[in-house]
Amino acid sequence: MTSLKSALQGRLGAFLSEPIEGLPEEAAVVAPSTLDEAAVILTLASKHTLPVLVWAGGTHQGLGGRVDPAIVLSTARLNTIVDWQPDDLTVVVEAGVRVADLEERLAERGQTAVLPEVPGDGTVGGAVAGGISGFRRLRFGPTRDRVLETDLVTGDGRIVRGGGRVVKNVTGYDLPRLAAGSLGSLGLIGRVCLKLWPLPQETRTVTLPEPRPDYGYRPLAVVEEPDRVLVFLAGTPAEMDARTAELGGRCERGLLWPGQPEGAIRLSLRVVPRLLREALTRIPSSWGYQALPGVGEVRVGASSFQLESFRELRHWAEGHGGALVVTDAPAEVYELVDPWGTPPASMDLQRRVVARFDPDRVVNPGRLPGSL
Amino acid sequence: MTLVQELRDLLGDERVLSDPLRTHVYGKDAGIRRGEVLAVVLPASTAEVVALVGIAARHGIPVVPRGAGTGLAGGTVPTSPSLVVSLTKMTHFDVDVESRSAWVEAGVLNLDLSEHAAGHGLHFAPDPSSQAACTIGGNVANNSGGPHCLAEGTTVNHVLAVEVVTARGEVVVLGGEAPDPIGLDLRGIVVGSEGTLGIVTRALVKLTPNPPAARTLLADFARVEDAAATVSGVIAGGIVPAALEMMDRLMTTAVERFVGAGFPTDAAAVLLAEVTGHPAAVEAEADLIRAVAESNGAGRVRVAADEGERALLWKGRKAAFGAVAQTAPDYYLHDAVVPRTRLVEVMAKVYEIADRFDLAMMNVFHAGDGNLHPLMAFDASQDGVMDRVQTAADELVEVCVAAGGALSGEHGIGLEKRDLMPLVFSQADLDAQARLAEAFDPDGLFNPEKVLPAGSRCFDLGRPVPAGTWI
Ligand SMILES: Cc1cc2nc3c(=O)[nH]c(=O)nc-3n(C[C@H](O)[C@H](O)[C@H](O)COP(=O)(O)OP(=O)(O)OC[C@H]3O[C@@H](n4cnc5c(N)ncnc54)[C@H](O)[C@@H]3O)c2cc1C
Repeated sequence: MTSLKSALQGRLGAFLSEPIEGLPEEAAVVAPSTLDEAAVILTLASKHTLPVLVWAGGTHQGLGGRVDPAIVLSTARLNTIVDWQPDDLTVVVEAGVRVADLEERLAERGQTAVLPEVPGDGTVGGAVAGGISGFRRLRFGPTRDRVLETDLVTGDGRIVRGGGRVVKNVTGYDLPRLAAGSLGSLGLIGRVCLKLWPLPQETRTVTLPEPRPDYGYRPLAVVEEPDRVLVFLAGTPAEMDARTAELGGRCERGLLWPGQPEGAIRLSLRVVPRLLREALTRIPSSWGYQALPGVGEVRVGASSFQLESFRELRHWAEGHGGALVVTDAPAEVYELVDPWGTPPASMDLQRRVVARFDPDRVVNPGRLPGSL
Repeated sequence: MTLVQELRDLLGDERVLSDPLRTHVYGKDAGIRRGEVLAVVLPASTAEVVALVGIAARHGIPVVPRGAGTGLAGGTVPTSPSLVVSLTKMTHFDVDVESRSAWVEAGVLNLDLSEHAAGHGLHFAPDPSSQAACTIGGNVANNSGGPHCLAEGTTVNHVLAVEVVTARGEVVVLGGEAPDPIGLDLRGIVVGSEGTLGIVTRALVKLTPNPPAARTLLADFARVEDAAATVSGVIAGGIVPAALEMMDRLMTTAVERFVGAGFPTDAAAVLLAEVTGHPAAVEAEADLIRAVAESNGAGRVRVAADEGERALLWKGRKAAFGAVAQTAPDYYLHDAVVPRTRLVEVMAKVYEIADRFDLAMMNVFHAGDGNLHPLMAFDASQDGVMDRVQTAADELVEVCVAAGGALSGEHGIGLEKRDLMPLVFSQADLDAQARLAEAFDPDGLFNPEKVLPAGSRCFDLGRPVPAGTWI
């Protein structure tokens, strides 16, 4: 055991947790059960400039630059549904609550937080911090649009609340929106209030043999795969009958969400929606994909990393206002390419903002573009 | 050279106003406060904005961005002699029909954009009642809402990118056309920042397809609380209508005198509800709303028979504030928001406050969002009335905050509610917001003294654990 690890274990003994598989042994793993405890941990880390990796469900750790942590901060003990107001369509949850568990609870009263549909062990905090959206963003917008309030433990250990527990709010700067997708760069997102939606009365999954220019008025979601198209519909029974008749194809009851494309290499190609069709013609035929028309994202899966094809595609995407992002891959890939690509022109401003929350840059350092 | 001379060299005489007779109107918005204007500039391009920001910075003069001046919270009212930057000459826009988006310059009027997009079956979803007059820049700066924001969300949900000129004179595009732009979402923080973080010169906005079908219902109630209970009941009942607006009797009476929209003036309150979507869906949803209304004691429930009747009802709703202006010389329009489960009790308290302060209180508001707009009509020339109005307004805010609400749902904090911020945020929360603002504008030259109360930035916050407690 390194002396740093044992010193940390001595200091943070009250919060120690089981080691997490696949993480460097040298790191001390802590799991605070309150935001105050998290603040103590981050204050300490900041004071001694010790890199902290926030670990939630572990489903999206492939996003962004690699972190070599001294401390792993697990959100496993921040796992309470704090306040659910079904009649107001809002819920307050701690970061470590699993998406699947939350959605199951909400479904008991016919509601959904519209979080990713195939979450695995993914947590609410992870989805918010990663800016991860599900297929239904076509109809309901990205996850960040539903984050009403956040309690953030900043990199230097302050507890900061922003937003509020109401569905419409312009009281002060919109910190929840800044936190959504911040990937830990501001600190730990400890607790969030989310806006909910009623679950539809009925749902259908329609399978079509090939893409179409139009799938009717605002379907719930559309996923185009290499050999089929899935159209997801939601609404009243009469509407379901009318819409499935309009679309044709093979119709099944319920929402049969597809799993991720196969392969250890996962990429996210993001383009102006108008260019989606062209983007698909540029993807090597050995790659699997899920294209989201209207959104402009293509989720790619490949079994091996083809550097040349990757570079060409990234060059094209960036040249057209988009990006090609590595969302998961074996470690070697991160040594070959930057997972984000060319950093945005606003990096200087981004650095200034991050410095106001995490001045010593200890939480997930290097996760953001530009190694920020 | 003087400030004005330098600005004239940049923009020409026509686009720099310094004659007090011409600058006077720029000292005020649609609220009740006034401030002092040094000069007004009307830039026509982002490059001109950059140049004039540089000039103002060299002279150490505060810069106050301004759209149409329809704001209600004093957001564009200078707190010290300032350079007002009016964006109203920047009115160009480009629609990308296939991607359903448009690059829009800040001075474009909200309604002009939607009317143009209508030709492509699209519209810009945020529809403030002031949409015929207010600018996209103002909408972005205030994160404005409108009746149809209940299902579609407010401006921030419809802005994909902003081009901003910061106080340092940088031009940055935040956000982008492709989904999930990489890096921090600074777009989301500029939206709603009320001109304090930068001047928005252009925005890339999302356009929404026009619904193929709509049903608009008008339900009337003998008691305000029954209307409020209907709102809570509809939301709890599993549908989120496109719009769910409430008006009380004083308001419907004023509107009827003004535009004759067909609102019943014998009811204590009316609800205006709209459902939109697939033709096969709207009927069932309208039936559901009708059923909830009737179970809460609604009198008549009328469905607009055609597009003409629907348009008239909405015209009445959106003309409400204009109508009030006919009935009293002055009005103070409030904006606060509460959880929708608390509407019934909060509305009862709103009327109780009006009674206690002997004020004519009218209500027209975005009930489905819990977004209240109590409006006090008065005659400011009467002795002591302003004090009563202000005290009543503060009590209204306290009632909403006590119910778990927030200070503003859509009009912003501006000057009006700046000093109330500690009611909802701790010192640490306010300090964090102040630090964030500093990252954009370290010298506080852009719209100073707005949003955050003086003293928000506390330099000793940050390390709750005493130094030297470890190793
Ligand atoms: C009758 C009436 C009805 C209204 N109804 C609604 C409603 O339904 N919903 C709603 O949300 N609001 C409503 N409002 C309030 C107001 O119309 C909105 O806030 C509107 O968005 C303001 O736009 P504006 O162009 O008039 O901005 P202004 O009033 O000129 O400015 C508002 C704020 O934005 C800043 N600003 C303006 N332009 C820029 C820019 N380009 N860059 C940076 N900062 C900028 C200003 O500094 C100020 O802080 C209403 C107002 C009136 C008078």
